[in-house]
Amino acid sequence: MISINHLSKSFQSGRRDILAVDDVSFEVVPGEVYGLLGPNGAGKTTMMRMILGLLKPDSGFAEISGFKSVEQPNEVKRQVGFVSASAGVYQWLTGREMLSFFGEIYGLESREIDTRIEELTEILGLDEFINQGCATLSTGQKQRLSLARALIHDPPVMILDEPTLGLDVVGSQVIFNYIDILKERSKAIILCTHRLEQAQRVCSRFGLLHKGKKVLEGTMNELQAQTGRNDLVEIFVDLIENKTEPTLA
Amino acid sequence: MTSDNATPDPDSQPNESLPAPSQPKTSGPKRRPKFRLSRLALKELRETLRDRRTIVTLVLMPLLVYPTLSLVFKTFLLANIGLLPSSDPVSLRIAYAGDVPQSQIRVVLDQIGAMVGEVENQERQRQEKEEQEREAAAKANGENVDDADPASPADGSADLASIAAKFSPVDGRGRYAEFQQHKWFFIEPEIGVSVDQYVEAGDADVGVIFETQGKQRWEVGKAKLVSRKDPQSQAAADYLFVNFKKLNELGLRMRLQGRNIPSGPTLKVSETQIGPDDAATQQGFPLATLVPMILVLMTITGAVYPAIDLTAGERERGTLETLMAAPVPRVGILFSKFIAVLTVAVLTAVLNIVGMFATVWAFQLDKQFGGGVFSFNVMWQILLLLILFAAFYSALLLAVTSFAKSFKEAQVYLIPIILLSLGPGLMAMAPGMTLDGVNSVTPMVNILLLARDVIQNQVILVPALIAIVSTLFYTYLAIRLAAWIFGSDNILYAGSGSVAEMFQRPAKVNRVVPFMATIFCLILLFPINFASIGFLGRMSAETSSDLELRFMLMALFTFFAFMVVPWLVSKHQNADTKLAFGLKPPNVLYIVAGVLLGLSLWPLVMSMTSGWHEAYGFLFGEESQQAWREKLLESTKGQVTRIRSVGPHVIVIAFSIVPAVCEEWFFRGMFQRSLLAKKSAWKAILFSALAFGAFHMLGNSVIAIDRLIPTTLVGLMLGYLAYKSDSIIPGIILHSIHNAFVIFLAYYQPQLSEYSWFPAEDSPIPMSWVIAGAVVALIGAGIIWALPRREPEEILAKAKLKPAVE
Repeated sequence: MISINHLSKSFQSGRRDILAVDDVSFEVVPGEVYGLLGPNGAGKTTMMRMILGLLKPDSGFAEISGFKSVEQPNEVKRQVGFVSASAGVYQWLTGREMLSFFGEIYGLESREIDTRIEELTEILGLDEFINQGCATLSTGQKQRLSLARALIHDPPVMILDEPTLGLDVVGSQVIFNYIDILKERSKAIILCTHRLEQAQRVCSRFGLLHKGKKVLEGTMNELQAQTGRNDLVEIFVDLIENKTEPTLA
Repeated sequence: MTSDNATPDPDSQPNESLPAPSQPKTSGPKRRPKFRLSRLALKELRETLRDRRTIVTLVLMPLLVYPTLSLVFKTFLLANIGLLPSSDPVSLRIAYAGDVPQSQIRVVLDQIGAMVGEVENQERQRQEKEEQEREAAAKANGENVDDADPASPADGSADLASIAAKFSPVDGRGRYAEFQQHKWFFIEPEIGVSVDQYVEAGDADVGVIFETQGKQRWEVGKAKLVSRKDPQSQAAADYLFVNFKKLNELGLRMRLQGRNIPSGPTLKVSETQIGPDDAATQQGFPLATLVPMILVLMTITGAVYPAIDLTAGERERGTLETLMAAPVPRVGILFSKFIAVLTVAVLTAVLNIVGMFATVWAFQLDKQFGGGVFSFNVMWQILLLLILFAAFYSALLLAVTSFAKSFKEAQVYLIPIILLSLGPGLMAMAPGMTLDGVNSVTPMVNILLLARDVIQNQVILVPALIAIVSTLFYTYLAIRLAAWIFGSDNILYAGSGSVAEMFQRPAKVNRVVPFMATIFCLILLFPINFASIGFLGRMSAETSSDLELRFMLMALFTFFAFMVVPWLVSKHQNADTKLAFGLKPPNVLYIVAGVLLGLSLWPLVMSMTSGWHEAYGFLFGEESQQAWREKLLESTKGQVTRIRSVGPHVIVIAFSIVPAVCEEWFFRGMFQRSLLAKKSAWKAILFSALAFGAFHMLGNSVIAIDRLIPTTLVGLMLGYLAYKSDSIIPGIILHSIHNAFVIFLAYYQPQLSEYSWFPAEDSPIPMSWVIAGAVVALIGAGIIWALPRREPEEILAKAKLKPAVE
């Protein structure tokens, strides 16, 4: 479903080249939530942008449903629902207008769009604000709307970059519950988050990035076996404090 | 599940209760949603028009600006005829005929105010006295004073005030006082020339013809005032009219005061206006040039906010990334934004043009200023021009704002752009500008001049078409540029290719100077070039040693601008000099080709220049061509005379070797090679040749458009040679031989034509020479074409690139 092969990307920062992503490979199959974790600046966001074809990798490639993101970016984008922490909403449109706009952009018929909005409204609880201008929405409402926007075309692949950033406990709970539903529906999901407890519950497998490199990968049990630690927070702290030896090439 | 090629996603929806839309599994070619530009554009527009800030510029601005502007216009009117207190007194000329001595008239003009004042004073005193007497009498009788009839004071002073007010639209007394300072010159028409003729020709501001009745006092008779329809003449006539009326008042008062003289016939003042109705050509306030300028500025104002908001603003709010993550081409997104910005700009233009014409109509500005027609027909023509301009400017704005990462950054970029566009605007407002030559292809200037011509009803077809077509072309270029910027990665994220690249020093050793740094260098060369032209123009050119110094300094400037500055930029960019400028020795055959072309191109160039002169006449009319040619010939002649007064060694250095080496160094070296790294070969050659041609246009004191096409063509040949040989050395040889030929033919022309080796001045190049030149040039070009291109990769492999600095 999602296949990442030796992706690398460097940026120039001042007079130095920084390797944001350094030869990272992994795969995600349908029904799996892959937790892409790592401290700030580990290269997670760059990674996701390359998967979507928003950034060109220096080397390597990402493939979704057999489409390479560099060669057929529009096919790839059609397969993917993308929510990022920085995703905004159109402040002068209402929620419904925004959803139907994206529905049309993704090529849905207007009847499909209507049914789809109905369904998403019910599941994500949008009905209280869907006819309001987006400028008046709270952060949680905006984030739910963004999620609905990413799901409007019912994509087989979801890429979620910090979908709960800035949300309170209840707000993020709504999002994580929905991720569970998506998992049951055999979506292939990549999830970046700093909410480690929820990640531990919802993700099937994890990949830990640090300084652009993938340093750990596996299910929770495998990670526990590799590190001798019990939960993700401990593993994470070790990672940042450089106690973890890279176990993967 | 890694890469089953294009297999549709397995339709595994286990949970029935969950949303399961039937179709949008859109993999595979059979269901490819069509890209909906209209839908995108509609969204952009809806977003923009719902934004109250857009509405402010759109609606409020015209409502507030134009009434204010009408006041400004009126002030301009006054300033223009020198009536503002700050302006110096203007000398006014009276063409005078009649049987009354001028001195008597002058007394009236100089002293009537004082005389009237004195009489008024006396009268007031008398009145007060009478009043007091009456009051005293009333008191004595116990009457109510207020019941006294206040209407129509018997002295008629109200009439005087009303006359003064009538002829002084702004402030009767202030204006009167101003006129007191004016100097009046009397002109007595020569025999056989009428007063009317003096006024009509503009030799006098106003004409006065006196007829006295018999031998009576001169105050009793007829005065005929003759004026033109321009403001100054009108004002002068009004002033005389008021003063003559006052004279009558004075007479009346004196008679009333005397109370014994019966009121008899007084001076009858009549006015006639002569001259054409259309005051466009007369000196007056150029309403016809100001109106388009204001409309253009307002249109820009309307486009700025949506342009920033839909690009940098969206990026800042995070909605741009969302849109980019959807399966729509980036060019489509950009184009929909362009349509939205253009629509808002056009709406602004419509509202402003209606506001403007309404103002002109309501305040009768067109009548007061003259200088154009403001009809409905003109209005929609101006609107069409504004739409064209709005398209160009919207694309330009989008290109700039696409660069910016935030709203603030976009504003920082736009302010200089808007200020820069004031330049062409002011240029177009300068008197005597016509829509021809360079003006017809200069962005913004051409549209402003064309709009002015539309208002003045003086449109000439061909230049108008050139202006329109060139603006369309610039619009296309601006959209292309915007699309290019929008399509690059850094539209979403900071990275390479931004403004920062101009100033950032790369860590690696570069094989070419990075594109942005080259553009920066090119921009830098403009002011340096202008500064050197200005400096050299101020130098004395009296003696031949002066001139030698001047030419050597010119060479020094060329060296500095085209060689030192690019080299410094290349060093800053950590570029390898040999590779970035193409200094490797080439195949000897390329040098042969360079020599052949250097020897043979000049007859072609010269005949092309005269061909262009013909074309100019065809495009812009004979008159325009004649004037332009004379100007050109004059300056060329001056130049040739100066050149002949210095020694040949100076000529060789200043006109042949230094320009050849330095210009090749920059244009074919740094510029073309930098472009080659990014663009296809023909584009790199074309752009470097165009830049080369453009810089040669600036070289002269007269902007020499005739040099653009030939120089660009020579630039193409030089570019091709440099591309094939992968070196600038053959080009330097071609360039210096070519320049030497052209300059020495002019230098030795008297001697050469004496021996009949060369045609005399002003006569065309013989056809046989042109043919011979063409044949040799073809051989040279053939050699270049036949030789294989040395791939730069080979050299790169050989060149040992130094490791990164850090």
